Amino acid sequence: MKNSVWKTTVPAVALAVLVALPAALSAKDLTATEILRKMQETISGFKDQTMDITMTVKGVDASKKSYDFTIAQKGANKRLIRFTSGEMKGMATLVESRSRVHVYLPGMNKVRRVASHAMNQSFAGSDFTTDDMASLDWPALYDVEPLKDDENHWYLNCTAKKGKKTTYSRVVMKVNKKGFAQDGIEYYAGDGKLAKTMENGQPKKYPAGLTRNSKVLMTDARTGHSTQLDIRDFRVNEDLPDSMFTVRELQWGQ
Amino acid sequence: MTGATMGGHGGRARHLCALILLVGLSHVGAAAHAADWTDKIKFSGHVQSDIRFMIEDYRGAVPGDGYKFEMNRNDVELKLKIIPNRSVQAVVSGRLRFYGFNEAAQLTELVGRDKIDPHDLQLNEAYLAVRGKIWDLKVGRMVQTWGTADMFNPTSNLSSYDFSDPLDYMAKVPNQMVEFDLYPTDWLTIKAVWVPLFKPSLLPPSTYLGFAVETSRDGCFLNAPTPPLSRNDIDTLETVFNQYDPCSLNFLTPDMAVVIPEFSIANSQAAIKTQFRFALGDVGDLDFSFSYYYGRFSFPIAYTAAADLMDSATLGPGNLDVMYNVELMYPRMHVAGFDFSFSAASDKVPGLFGELAVTFPEEVIFGLAVLRNDVILDNLQMSSVNVPTTPFVKATVGLDYTFTKWLYVNVQYVRGFMDEFNDAYGIHNYVVPALEMKFLDNVLQFRIAAAWNVDDLSAAMFPQMTWVAAPSVELILGVWVYLGDTKPRDSKSYGGRYKFGQKAAGRSVVYLKGKVSW
Repeated sequence: MKNSVWKTTVPAVALAVLVALPAALSAKDLTATEILRKMQETISGFKDQTMDITMTVKGVDASKKSYDFTIAQKGANKRLIRFTSGEMKGMATLVESRSRVHVYLPGMNKVRRVASHAMNQSFAGSDFTTDDMASLDWPALYDVEPLKDDENHWYLNCTAKKGKKTTYSRVVMKVNKKGFAQDGIEYYAGDGKLAKTMENGQPKKYPAGLTRNSKVLMTDARTGHSTQLDIRDFRVNEDLPDSMFTVRELQWGQ
Repeated sequence: MTGATMGGHGGRARHLCALILLVGLSHVGAAAHAADWTDKIKFSGHVQSDIRFMIEDYRGAVPGDGYKFEMNRNDVELKLKIIPNRSVQAVVSGRLRFYGFNEAAQLTELVGRDKIDPHDLQLNEAYLAVRGKIWDLKVGRMVQTWGTADMFNPTSNLSSYDFSDPLDYMAKVPNQMVEFDLYPTDWLTIKAVWVPLFKPSLLPPSTYLGFAVETSRDGCFLNAPTPPLSRNDIDTLETVFNQYDPCSLNFLTPDMAVVIPEFSIANSQAAIKTQFRFALGDVGDLDFSFSYYYGRFSFPIAYTAAADLMDSATLGPGNLDVMYNVELMYPRMHVAGFDFSFSAASDKVPGLFGELAVTFPEEVIFGLAVLRNDVILDNLQMSSVNVPTTPFVKATVGLDYTFTKWLYVNVQYVRGFMDEFNDAYGIHNYVVPALEMKFLDNVLQFRIAAAWNVDDLSAAMFPQMTWVAAPSVELILGVWVYLGDTKPRDSKSYGGRYKFGQKAAGRSVVYLKGKVSW
């Protein structure tokens, strides 16, 4: 029997919050749908992306624990994560689609299939769940309408489309007016109560020449518990081959 | 008997040299760092301490043997992976184990560390892997685990089990082999493995109790293990031994020989598997595979036995020395296998998985003779088919589900435990539930698992609590309990013993482990 940490999967939300600050586009007279689409292009408009991340889980008692992992993504769905520190070092997760997830278990030296129900589980004890991360294509999953705006941001009220499977019935998206960056999200549960908030900041210029927010903070609104992602390195358009996102590669790279 | 006596220990210096070599190689990795080789060398490992205490005193060789330490072990495991380029890698991993029990019983043994501090070294992996566009080739020492089920994989027969530590029930015996994988399309994978030489499974230290004669504290005969014979034959044997005063029988240490297969190519193992993957649209995704294995069953099967009643050379007239000679063998088998795993698109549906293996066994006929002073007694040669050639099925089917962020449940139905081969014991049925709960950001993890034999109602249970004290640091407290009678429910049937109740299954223990990984 296995350690259930294998059911964790990609914090794709981390991908979603990487803000394209330089993309200064004219934003006047855009509809809420257009803003959301431009935000979507900003956060996932690359052929592939690779990030080295340190994840720090902060307890309400001020305790902290950190894990390092690398996440590679190609297209909207294919993701490969490898833990590089902690008791989960060596564990790797391959996500090809919501119903095709595999995990390499170093203790058993075996690749195991993971069912979609595991998408509800916490990612390594953090405040991220798989579904937080899988909701990459926001315009496809949510109907959007403007909520408010201020000097720097638009706030979009996004309601789950009928027939679409989403963890949250509603989210409020905070989009940066300068570059359509996803600067924050408020997640509302089915009962209408605020469940989590995500804030992104600290722009950083990465060696590859891109400037992106380097910190992501996810906070559980009910417990005050939070998780911070520090994106140590960020690379895009490296022509990652499709073969990298296969069970074969999962085993080979163990 | 401690694990050290099972593992054997060669020269300490030799073991340490090997360990130092691994550490040294990791140092190469550090040096290579300067040469920007960090991506080409990976080093990992862990240190683990394991202390166990027996919580019963009735499962040992004699009543009252218990309530003492069963284990006091320390392991160092190191793994080094060298990746010269994307198409080649070499992997070496080893384990240095110190058993923690002093075995020095003679004055002369007190001058060497081997007896006072017994230890051994195991090379878990040492292989080279090369890959092309659509193929991978691996050569060297490794283990194979096939199948989609958790732990109970009837289609996985290439690597023998390592049950030398019953709590580490997922361990396998590494062996030298050649693996070739072909990836012609996205939906098809073909895997072929050749294992030149057979290696048997490692058995638990308590195994000998399955063959041991039970005596009272004052040494009088109580019970003998039931052989795989008919009831009539067993009645006959009982009649023979009932003639004697139980206290006049002096059972010598039995000789239990294992017939080792010759190192010929005919005794090689080979297996092939074709794996398919299909998308079922909105329903989900299905993976399945067909496999074939040729080789040997890795657990020993009773083959012959002889009991020689000899006038006692030490106890005087009227007393008998009883010498048991037993032979065990590893029968050949062909196994046709099928496995599948299904993941629904909906997260409301549990994950489903299963395996089915049809085994075509070599026939094993068990023969037993009773001798009196080395002469076979009339009408006391008997035999019975222990393993018929009839094909038999072993299977596992299971489901798992994540109910909440902190609760996960996995349940499997298992037909045929790893060590069952349709001999006179038969193939039994089991239910294996496991429940996992995680709290405090996974810092505190509870796991309750069990294996329940639904035929004889015996069980093994293992509740466990893990505290992740810091990243990479785990403290584990658990209990391993065997439930079931140590005495067989039918003393005249080879299959009459309780799977988990019998003494050969092992000792009930409480354990504390500490582990640091890097």
